[in-house]
Amino acid sequence: MLSNLGIISSSTSLLISLFLIYLSFVELKISGNQIPKKIYKFSLAQLIFSSLSFLILLIGYVFSDFSMINVYENSHTTKPLFYKISGTWGNHEGSLLLWINILVIFSFLFLILNKNKNKNFKIFTLIFQNLLISIFFIFLLTNSNPFSPVFPVPDEGLGLNPILQDPALAIHPPLLYVGFVGSSIYFSAALAALISKVEAKSLATTLKPWISISWFFQTTGILAGSIWAYYELGWGGYWFWDPVENSSLMPWFLMTALLHSVLVLERRMGLYSWVIILSILTFTMSVVGTFLVRSGILNSVHTFANDPSRGLFILTFLVLMVFSSIFIFFKYTPSEKKNYRIFSKEFFILINNWFMTFFLAVVLIGTLYPVFLDTLIGEKISVGPPYYNFVLAPFLIPLLFLMTSGPKHKWVSSETKKFFDIILFLSSLLFLIIFFVIKENNLLINLILLFSIYLIIQTIFDFYENLKNRNINLSRIISHFGFGLLIFFISINHIFSVESNFNVRVGEKKDIKNYVIKFKNLETSSGNNYKSVVGYFEILNKKKLTKENLKPEIRVYNHPKTITYEASINSNLFSDTYLTMSNISNSDIFNIKFQKKPFMNFIWFSVLLVSLGGIINFFNRKKQI
Amino acid sequence: MKKINLIIIFIFLIFIFTTLYLSLDNRKIYNTEDIVGQKIDEVELTLFNNNKTFNTKEISNYKFTLINFWASWCGPCRKEHKNLIKLSKNKNLKIIGVNFKDNKTQAKEFLKEMGDPFFILIKDPKGKQSVNFGVYGIPETILVNENLEILKKYIGPLGLKDVNEIRKIIKK
Amino acid sequence: MLNIKTKNRLSIFIVISVLSIVIIIFILKTLEDNVLYFYSPSDIKESNKIVFGDKIKIGGMVKSGSIKTNENEIKFIITDYKNEIIVSYKGTVPALFAEDKGVVAEGRLQDKKFFLAKRILAKHDENYMPPKIKESLEKNAK
Repeated sequence: MLSNLGIISSSTSLLISLFLIYLSFVELKISGNQIPKKIYKFSLAQLIFSSLSFLILLIGYVFSDFSMINVYENSHTTKPLFYKISGTWGNHEGSLLLWINILVIFSFLFLILNKNKNKNFKIFTLIFQNLLISIFFIFLLTNSNPFSPVFPVPDEGLGLNPILQDPALAIHPPLLYVGFVGSSIYFSAALAALISKVEAKSLATTLKPWISISWFFQTTGILAGSIWAYYELGWGGYWFWDPVENSSLMPWFLMTALLHSVLVLERRMGLYSWVIILSILTFTMSVVGTFLVRSGILNSVHTFANDPSRGLFILTFLVLMVFSSIFIFFKYTPSEKKNYRIFSKEFFILINNWFMTFFLAVVLIGTLYPVFLDTLIGEKISVGPPYYNFVLAPFLIPLLFLMTSGPKHKWVSSETKKFFDIILFLSSLLFLIIFFVIKENNLLINLILLFSIYLIIQTIFDFYENLKNRNINLSRIISHFGFGLLIFFISINHIFSVESNFNVRVGEKKDIKNYVIKFKNLETSSGNNYKSVVGYFEILNKKKLTKENLKPEIRVYNHPKTITYEASINSNLFSDTYLTMSNISNSDIFNIKFQKKPFMNFIWFSVLLVSLGGIINFFNRKKQI
Repeated sequence: MKKINLIIIFIFLIFIFTTLYLSLDNRKIYNTEDIVGQKIDEVELTLFNNNKTFNTKEISNYKFTLINFWASWCGPCRKEHKNLIKLSKNKNLKIIGVNFKDNKTQAKEFLKEMGDPFFILIKDPKGKQSVNFGVYGIPETILVNENLEILKKYIGPLGLKDVNEIRKIIKK
Repeated sequence: MLNIKTKNRLSIFIVISVLSIVIIIFILKTLEDNVLYFYSPSDIKESNKIVFGDKIKIGGMVKSGSIKTNENEIKFIITDYKNEIIVSYKGTVPALFAEDKGVVAEGRLQDKKFFLAKRILAKHDENYMPPKIKESLEKNAK
């Protein structure tokens, strides 16, 4: 019964979406500036029915209704409630329904919240957004239906992979979806703006809040994913240049460029084409990412299972979307006079756009290269992380410098600012002190440290300057400060991380550098839906004479039968101690991986600071007209 | 200026999208066409209920045989099972089931609950025997004739379209 | 003669082009240097081109009964049911590494029979076999 309700609810929402498109076209021919109440009412109805569909699936999971094959395949009666709920979007069909809900929510919010006076602009946005919604609904109902029934109804489900039963992983898809699915609204708005000839400043004011919000969620979504990878995957790393991670990073580059460009558009009416193109590209890249993840052409730790038919649908949709956008862009784009003076703020933001585009291209090439090589030549390869690190790291240096120096320039001026000032002097001094303490030889890392310190000091200085003048541009200061900290701490972490692998038996101990690791004992235990073997370890720090206790586990889950290794992590303020234990072939020898990872908490905190700038920007918009 | 940009972008995009499309196809083609027309190997398989053996050579005694790879833990297998029951009613067709990487008790319960369309049931707890048929994931189904030639390979659950296709083939 | 403005534009254009070409070459070269090739045990046996020092990936199934652990390392055999290769690995093994399951090992070949692995990868879906392994197994099954 739930299955039928779900299908009916989704189909109703689809029909309403199609009807909204029709109503919108009709409304275009009518003059006047008021959007008729009918459209608001149907939009609300669309929202109600799509939310209802999602709720129905959620209920199916919570109450373990296995009459729906999706619930049967991905859930189990013994799963904890929190994970039953998050299981709703932890699979292809359910997450697609979440995609659609976000498309609908953004469509509705744009309609009721947007104060732009151009009626055609709002109507066209509605049309494009509803085209997206309708196509995704059709895809859902014909190819990936979460409400598909199964008969006879099984009395137990097949369970969800225990690696996916984790709080960070549970919230990270919804966060990311608000990010890159939310970018759909400015995709639609950009196309609409071209057709209805919205002028620069008005477009900027309209788009800015949506861009800020989606950027904030994208940043925090990526953070949640990295935190999950760090705590759950057991490698001690937080970024692997995995194709799925890259798929969330690429829209982020575009959103960052867009966020900066829209500031220029608002103040100086420049970068109009950039804003339009970036708005279109962000959502396009999100769909490309979805294609890569769901079509099965990439191998990754967390792609959804292979199904070429899904890939085909998404690819077709992508092609249509891209070519229509190009057509609309070339037909309607206004001619723009480019007159930014060199060394104005606007010029620096333009440079930033090029940097972001470059980073995007590098990551895209690395992600797609294996696919292309395999398809065209049949050679099977994978692209290792060194590629990304090697190519991107050097460019961080000019980027950090420009982030520090750019905001010092005025919007209109073309004077160069003094390069050698007290901030640079202070930063160099601080850097030299740090250099003599760390004694790192690598030139690249030292330059990165120097320029990240420069950015940090400059933003602190800017903060005090702004306080004095009561002229706070807090969002830029916090985000740039956070970014400087992020790069600084990532570099320090890279230099000082320690890792060691060895085999031990219970009762033995091992000397590694400044530490003595003692395998005290082994105990068995059990949790909600698993049994585990816990190792008790004592780590002695010979230099500081402190002791730490860690207890990594090996867990055996029953549904489905899986083994996981739970790392034991002591997250201290300045450093994390990380221990993973594994056992092979039931011998009495355990393999231990011991890691010391400095400043992990500072890395997470810096990303939070960066994202905070986006939220402050969002709340600040009332100050500007 | 604009026209040239447009053309370059177009060509570039067409190249990218075509390659992506081909990459999707890559799997399908390799999986299905390659194996159709070939003969299945003559191997000794182990029966599910006792440990006696069954040689695939014996398939030549039957006009058409459907070999279905399934397990109790596989959701889509559950979906297609009623189609197998439907097909088992056909006198021209014999269905051999290969229970892939499964637990014996759970497999028995599955058949008790959903019905047993299998003329012969083979066990393959490690999946090694299935490799001989080019099968690594389930559900997969192969239609073979009395010459041991593979007429059709279905990857994924058997749908109604597949059932009708099979029915048409075995009528001849 | 060209006027100053055009000269300036031209020089900027040339500088940017040269820089771009340098950067593109740099990217492509780094890409090539960091690309890991994938082989099955049969590929290793039949190939004449493999350099024994290069970092490569080998994939297949872990042979039944082949996993042996001692204090220093784990030894096991990767097979594609036609050919085998012995792998030695010091380190943490992923949760789904087990006999009769798919595995991909990253490291260097000592010789045609012996591989020193630096990393072991196994997939999270226990019945999922990486397409590369699937294809090479299929190739060999004929």
